[in-house]
Amino acid sequence: MKSLRKLFWISEKEQAGWAAVLMNMLFVVILWIMLFWISLNAIQVRLDFSFLGQFRLRIWNGFLTTLGLSLSSLLSSLVIGMLCAAGQGSSLLVIRYFCSIYVKFIRGTPLIMQIYLFFYIVGTAWGVENRFAAGVIILSIFEGAYVAEIIRGSLLSIEGSQLEAARAVGFTRRQAWRYVVLPQMAARTLPPLTGQFASIIKDSSLLSMIAVIELTQTMREISAVNFRLFECYLFLGVLYLCLTLPVSLISERLERKFHYEN
Amino acid sequence: MELAYPPFETRDDAGNPAGVSVDLMKAFGEYAGYEIQIENTAWDGLIPALQTGAADLVISSMTITDERKELIDFSDPYANALLAVLANEDSEIASIDDLNQKGKVVAVKSGSTGHMYAEKNLTEAEVMAMPDESACVMEVSQGRADGFIYDQLTIYRNWQLNPDTTAAVFIPFQEPEKWGIAVRKGNQELLDQLNAFLAEYKENGGYDQLTEKHLAEEKKAFDELEFQWFFDMDE
Repeated sequence: MKSLRKLFWISEKEQAGWAAVLMNMLFVVILWIMLFWISLNAIQVRLDFSFLGQFRLRIWNGFLTTLGLSLSSLLSSLVIGMLCAAGQGSSLLVIRYFCSIYVKFIRGTPLIMQIYLFFYIVGTAWGVENRFAAGVIILSIFEGAYVAEIIRGSLLSIEGSQLEAARAVGFTRRQAWRYVVLPQMAARTLPPLTGQFASIIKDSSLLSMIAVIELTQTMREISAVNFRLFECYLFLGVLYLCLTLPVSLISERLERKFHYEN
Repeated sequence: MELAYPPFETRDDAGNPAGVSVDLMKAFGEYAGYEIQIENTAWDGLIPALQTGAADLVISSMTITDERKELIDFSDPYANALLAVLANEDSEIASIDDLNQKGKVVAVKSGSTGHMYAEKNLTEAEVMAMPDESACVMEVSQGRADGFIYDQLTIYRNWQLNPDTTAAVFIPFQEPEKWGIAVRKGNQELLDQLNAFLAEYKENGGYDQLTEKHLAEEKKAFDELEFQWFFDMDE
């Protein structure tokens, strides 16, 4: 009786066992699927996924393109974000305002507007012909602003007195950064940065607006021709989950790990 | 309907749905005693709206095709249209065959009959599906795409708007497309009502009034270019 209870209940101090985690997860997932199934039946839609085999190569290519877009954008948005976070603390006012206006503009306007504006005005004027490249540039500029805010936020959260204290006990400036500030920053930025990566993956779907043949655009093209809208978008969701779920799991792990270390 | 295709489905200055299809539906409402409520729905979502029962009728300048007929039922055709090509000024496109070459990029609106035509027939060219017309026109006028395939009226208008960067090809390359009003599969009662209404509407000269009200200029241009008019059906 007690072991059965353990499968469903948990006290504050305990950690759930593997069997309990698996069972309850499965239970919840089945509940969701059933709810969805009932809704589908209520509106009398029959799902037919048989067309997927026919398009598997295109879908796979779209999947790879989305992955490539997201990874390249992650790297360059990290660079942009770090430079910008540093720039916002610059003592040169032009640089400081440049960075802060950039962050405010990007975070205050929808990505879809930035995509159109950048691609058709800036991109055309400067001869950015390749859609994939244009997509990476737009996405990096967009996500860079968010990364900058994550880094700036964690910098601000570390009290300045820590640096002074480190200097007082004889650390050089360099050592103080290396042993006092950076480890704390890593702990505070890594989890939200991983979360940001999941956002990048999802945001990349908007690049379908300028016909970058990534995952969403591939599915749009397929559903436009065979009208299997529900099936296409359902499968699309599954594919995006394949990318974002591992990322958010890693983010959770990191959060827990650094939480203990602090 | 998708209110993105003036003057058939659009909004007036006050933001209310207006246009040929809107007036036609209002007339149907009066004829059959329905209160017509218009929902602006994105093109890709029109057929699903019927399937899920969110809408009873779809009139959105939709061409009757075999593929669509598998999922929904259509009324008798009420209008027809031909596809045309909006080409980039410098791409030297004079016919549809010039477009169907390796290295040519064809812009189409996702899910339109132009899209289906291109997927089926322009196997050599690269077909690029965009979410809306304005993006397609932009692609062509900036030279990123060589041509945009859509109906004659839209092509004519955008050619007039961008005379320096675009050229239009009006040589017909397929049979006229017939537009129908769509209902959910098996809704025979509504379909019979629609067909009876369309026959009577035609008899009473309703289409001439619609042309007068919404399409007077276009009719003149079409007559000059000797295009078949939307409501001149073959039969």
